[in-house]
Amino acid sequence: MKGVVPLAKADQHDVFGSKAVGLGEATRGGLPVPPGVALSGPIVEAVASGEERAIKKVAKSVRTLEGPFAVRSSAVGEDGADASFAGQHVTLLNVPSGAELTDAVREIWWSANSDSAITYRQRTGLFVRPSVGVVVQALLDPETAGVMFTQNPINGADERVIEASWGLGEAVVSGRVIPDNYRVARSGEILARTPGLKKIAIRRGPDGGTVDEQMSPEDAERDCLSDAQLAELNMLAARCEEVYGAGRDIEWAFADDRLYLLQCRPVTRAGTA
Amino acid sequence: MPGAPPDVIQQVPLFADLTRKQVEEVARLFKHRRFRAGETVIREGSGGAAFFLIESGEAAVSVRGEERAKLGPGDAFGELAMIDEGARSATITASSEVDCWGLTFWDFQPLVEMNGPIGWKLLQTLAKRLRSAEQAGSA
Repeated sequence: MKGVVPLAKADQHDVFGSKAVGLGEATRGGLPVPPGVALSGPIVEAVASGEERAIKKVAKSVRTLEGPFAVRSSAVGEDGADASFAGQHVTLLNVPSGAELTDAVREIWWSANSDSAITYRQRTGLFVRPSVGVVVQALLDPETAGVMFTQNPINGADERVIEASWGLGEAVVSGRVIPDNYRVARSGEILARTPGLKKIAIRRGPDGGTVDEQMSPEDAERDCLSDAQLAELNMLAARCEEVYGAGRDIEWAFADDRLYLLQCRPVTRAGTA
Repeated sequence: MPGAPPDVIQQVPLFADLTRKQVEEVARLFKHRRFRAGETVIREGSGGAAFFLIESGEAAVSVRGEERAKLGPGDAFGELAMIDEGARSATITASSEVDCWGLTFWDFQPLVEMNGPIGWKLLQTLAKRLRSAEQAGSA
């Protein structure tokens, strides 16, 4: 059964899903993506069904990855499927090892068949059998993380818009903090920096999952990115545009003084055409 | 062997009249699912494409916010939405960690469509339930 490949070899949307293929393109393009593997829709279903062969194959595929893992859904079958099903299909952070991976994959398969996902499918005319791929990556332990638009999503201005907070990027994505906001010109000039209120950082928990760390009042209010880091993010935006084209919505993280690309997809609500 | 234990599936009223071979075919299509304590298993009014059989743990059934019943090992729910693609008629919330076997519409429909004898027995079972409900309503 073809079904598990290193991210660099994930190149079929209808097999591995759009998130996996996007990360595959990034890896092939030399972008700094954490190492990982892509699981096809059929092998995810086989794992969810309890098929021993598939379970062993998936467990074997992650032996070379350093745990813990981030296990993310990669919706198969519809254009922009990952954006459409954001919030329906789950992401599981800090899955401790290969032993817990089967349960995580099964949970993601069920998230595509949950009542909320099915209701969404019925309302949007997508009431067809869901297929969901999975991306398994080494989970970073970032100092800071967040999102970046390679052009302003509100007014279409040719500038980077960056939102950042302490710890894992889920604090920004889920709206649990008011992130620091930065605008950076394509030239690298910092146009604006607006500190947020980052009372918590989401961190890896000791036994899997995540925990909230309370930040000191000083850390909550101070800038979490340096000028040098903003310059690195600007360069990453340029590299993503080279690989994918203009108008990208990026998730990123700084861990061990290195910048990583976690996701790169088209901006879906740009202010200009 | 993938799927649920056939002995467990045979106890579900919807499948009780099937032959052993038919039960084995249906059992193979079930997938394991775990709900955490406090998690909503199904929500009243929402769409649903899966039927569940509780293997272990307890869950509470509520309708319009009022608790109506408790469910435990061996109890099954969700078959109507799985068949007619209609809305869930109750909310079920896990009272403890709940291990279930689940069968989705996507797996069940092709099985029934391609297997007349299974479809006929299921139709008989549903007709019996409808008759019982009508008799209870007119009593």
